[in-house]
This record gives sequence, C-alpha cells and structure tokens, in this order.
Amino acid sequence: MKLELGKIPIHDVKFDSESRIEGNTLYLNQEELISHLMVDENIKSITIDVARPGDKTRIMPVKDVIEPRVKVSGKGQVFPGTLSKVETVGQGRTNVLKGMAVVTTGKIVGFQEGIIDMSGPGADYTPFSKLVNLVVVCEPVEGIDQHTHEKTVRIAGLRAAAYLGNLAKDIEAEEIETYETYTVKESMEKFPDLPRVAYVLMLQTQGLLHDTYVYGVDMKHSLPTIIYPTELMDGAIISGNCVSACDKNTTYHHLNNPVVEDLFKKHGKELNFVAVVITNENVYLDDKERSSDWTSKLVEFLDVDGVIISQEGFGNPDTDLIMNCKKIEAKGIKTVIITDEYAGRDGASQSLADADESANAVVTAGNANMVIELPPMDKVIGYQEVADVIAGGFAGSLKPDGSITAELQVIVGATNELGFNKLSAR
Amino acid sequence: MVKEIERAGIPVVHICTVVPISQTVGANRIVPAIAIPHPLGDPSQPADKEKEIRRKLIDKALQALSTEISEQTVFE
Repeated sequence: MKLELGKIPIHDVKFDSESRIEGNTLYLNQEELISHLMVDENIKSITIDVARPGDKTRIMPVKDVIEPRVKVSGKGQVFPGTLSKVETVGQGRTNVLKGMAVVTTGKIVGFQEGIIDMSGPGADYTPFSKLVNLVVVCEPVEGIDQHTHEKTVRIAGLRAAAYLGNLAKDIEAEEIETYETYTVKESMEKFPDLPRVAYVLMLQTQGLLHDTYVYGVDMKHSLPTIIYPTELMDGAIISGNCVSACDKNTTYHHLNNPVVEDLFKKHGKELNFVAVVITNENVYLDDKERSSDWTSKLVEFLDVDGVIISQEGFGNPDTDLIMNCKKIEAKGIKTVIITDEYAGRDGASQSLADADESANAVVTAGNANMVIELPPMDKVIGYQEVADVIAGGFAGSLKPDGSITAELQVIVGATNELGFNKLSAR
Repeated sequence: MVKEIERAGIPVVHICTVVPISQTVGANRIVPAIAIPHPLGDPSQPADKEKEIRRKLIDKALQALSTEISEQTVFE
C-alpha cells in the first residue's frame, strides 16, 4: 500500500468573506464554517478563534487537536467510519495543511484537562504552541448526556478539519513524501537480509474521554489487529481521549505518529517495517490478558525479529505494556517499550505501576509529576476555572491573577509516549 | 499500604483488579476484583445482583484473610 503526502505549509489563518488558501495563508469565512458545524442538532453554539505562536493565549481544556487533511486521489475520505463512510484509506494521495491545526475545547466532565499555552514556559512543553491553531469552542444543547457531549465535540473537530482540508483539494503541493508498505511475501523478497520490525501501537480504551476509535469502531470492543501505517495518515484512528493530557494521543498525533515516521525512514535500508499492530487498554484483567496474548500471536505470525511498543496513558495501562512486552519477549522477539513516568514530584518514586525483567530496553518521555508554574495569559480560550479539579492540578492551582501551579501532566502532549515531545531521561 | 500494614504484623488481603500490579508490589493475599472503574461491583447488574457480587467478594476476602499461606497467593 502506497500513500503520497502532499505538504502545503500554512503560516497564518485570517478571517475573510471567502474560505480559500492563497500562498501560505488560509482565509476563512467563519460564518460558513460555523453553519457547517451547526448541522449537529446537539450543538447550541460554536465560536471560532485563532491562537498563533507567541500569543499570550491559553487554550483549555483541550478536547482534541486535529491536522486538516484531504484525499486528492485513492479510495475513501479522511476520518473513515467516523466522519466519512467506511472505506479503506491509506493509498493514493492526501494533501496536508502543515503548520496549523484545529483545536477543540469544550467542558464535558469536571475532571477534564489539557492546556496549550501559546507562549511562556508552558509553550515549551507542548508541540501545539508552534502551530497556528483554529480553536473551535463548542457548546452543546441543554440536558445532553456526557457521552453524547463527548461525541458531539469530537465529530465537530473532525468536521472542521475536513472543511479546512477540503480547501486544499486542488492545490498542487510543492513537497511530496511517499510511504510504501509491501505485502509480507513482497517485502521478504525485496529485503531478505534486513531485520523485520513491527510496531505495536497501544490505544487507550477505558471509557468516557479515554476512548479511541478505529474506522468508527470503539477499540475497546475489538481484538488487536493489523493495520497499514499509511491508514493512520488518513485518519483511520481517531482520539476520544484527553484526560491526563500529557500522555494522551490526540488525532494529530495519530496522523503524524513519529514511530511510524522514523520506521519508514529506515524502511528498506536498515530494517523492514512490516506492519502496525493496534491493541487496546481495557479495564478488565481478562481483556488485558487476552489482548496481550493476541499481540504476541500476531507479531509471531508476522515472523518479526523486533517490536517497538508504545503505551498510551499510565497507571493500569502499565500492566498492558508489561504484558505485551514480556509475552512478545517470551517468543524470542526483541522489544523496546516507549512510556513516560509518574515518579513523584521529586522523581524519586517508582516510575511505572508494573515491571518485568524482560522490559530491559525502555525509552521514557519524561516525568509527568514534575511541578510547573504557568504565568497568567492575556487571553484564555475555553474555561480556565477547571484548573483546580483537573488531574495534575490541585486546590489552589489557579491563582487569582490567572497563573497556574500544577504538575506537567496538565500540558497537552508534554510526555507523549509516541515520542512527539522533547522530554526524556537517561 | 498493604506492605506497611503487614510490616506492623497485621495480615492484609488486597482486593485488586489488576492482579499483576498487586503481585509486583508484593501483596501476599490477593483477591481479584471486578474492573478498574468499579472494583467491588458491576453497575450493569440490577441492585440485588450487585449486592450478591459484593457479598461474595467480601466473603472471599475474609476467607483469604483466615487462610494460612506460605507464598504470594491469588484467591481466584
């Protein structure tokens, strides 16, 4: 399966009477976008704002971050099974608006976090402070239940991203990058001497605001399965997941998975990137056992020499991670795990809730308990008052002057376990 | 907490959903619970059924507490 990504750099977003892309500027008719999003009868109101790198702006609580994309050729449309019809994606050409994102904010439950600061010390911890963000503030109708509210905001974000992506459908991208995965037999014939590597991508699937969707399927109800890496690039995997925001994968992360990117860079040169295996992180022990049995069977079946495993979240998913690691190692396949740490504010406590001696190659994305100070911003998009009750926050987190003292885990993507961040430890 | 209480000479049963974590931490008597968001019950069941589930779990835990063991034991 072969996919070309056409990259269209966007340097600014401006409001105008006609939505279009000219040069590196996206012009937006915001009334048109709002009415496009208001088709969902569960939405009471939508407001649109723009946050640029360097602005004294705080966005919180962030629900999702999405990169606008559009299919130019090949089967299906972006975000299949959730926004568009179910059809296999991941081949042909897709145009990508680089340098911008749609950020959704909406207060869904009490314990909901996710901060993006566009400047100041908080900005250093999140990759999304470097993008021009079109922020969609979504207010639901009264009396809506939390699950419907979550879905409403999730779909609104995807719909906005698809609307923006569509503006780039007929633009000829200057830079085109090609990604190709061969079938098992083809790749063995092409690269007989290269080590075979698979990627086990663990997806958070623990309920409201902790869920992930694959072609519209709530992944907690699926057994682990195989997916082409280019399917991720067309939005086959969608985030419904934003609590403890530091180590949750937004949809933007899934579209731009750095493990996939790096494996492709070495594909056919140092290694043979065979497949992505996706699995879940459920709340029942039987599910954890069953799913980790399954991932180990799948990678054995693929006859790989090595596996990279990335975790999503922390706490009990540490057990899913360790089960995946030790069951795959037990089959004689080498593993490297990517995780983050909750090692206490001083970094001296045990980092993971579970451990095993076969987990002897570990990459960490940083300590989420580290306390940080976020100065007040001139502008807040969203609802800053939630700072006291979010994970990583505490009573008194939000000061009267608008500054926030909290653990690093409040920052979107700060310790992302795909490695889409700058922190680590040795 | 399990280990500190046992260090004080009082036996402990750890009712825990993720048994491997309890094993890693070093609890001696482990009783598997229902699920992470609802360890001691099952909200999908009617109230009387759920009470029964809770009663069985507590009975099992008390049984575990009064059982002599020589090594880390999971009471399935």
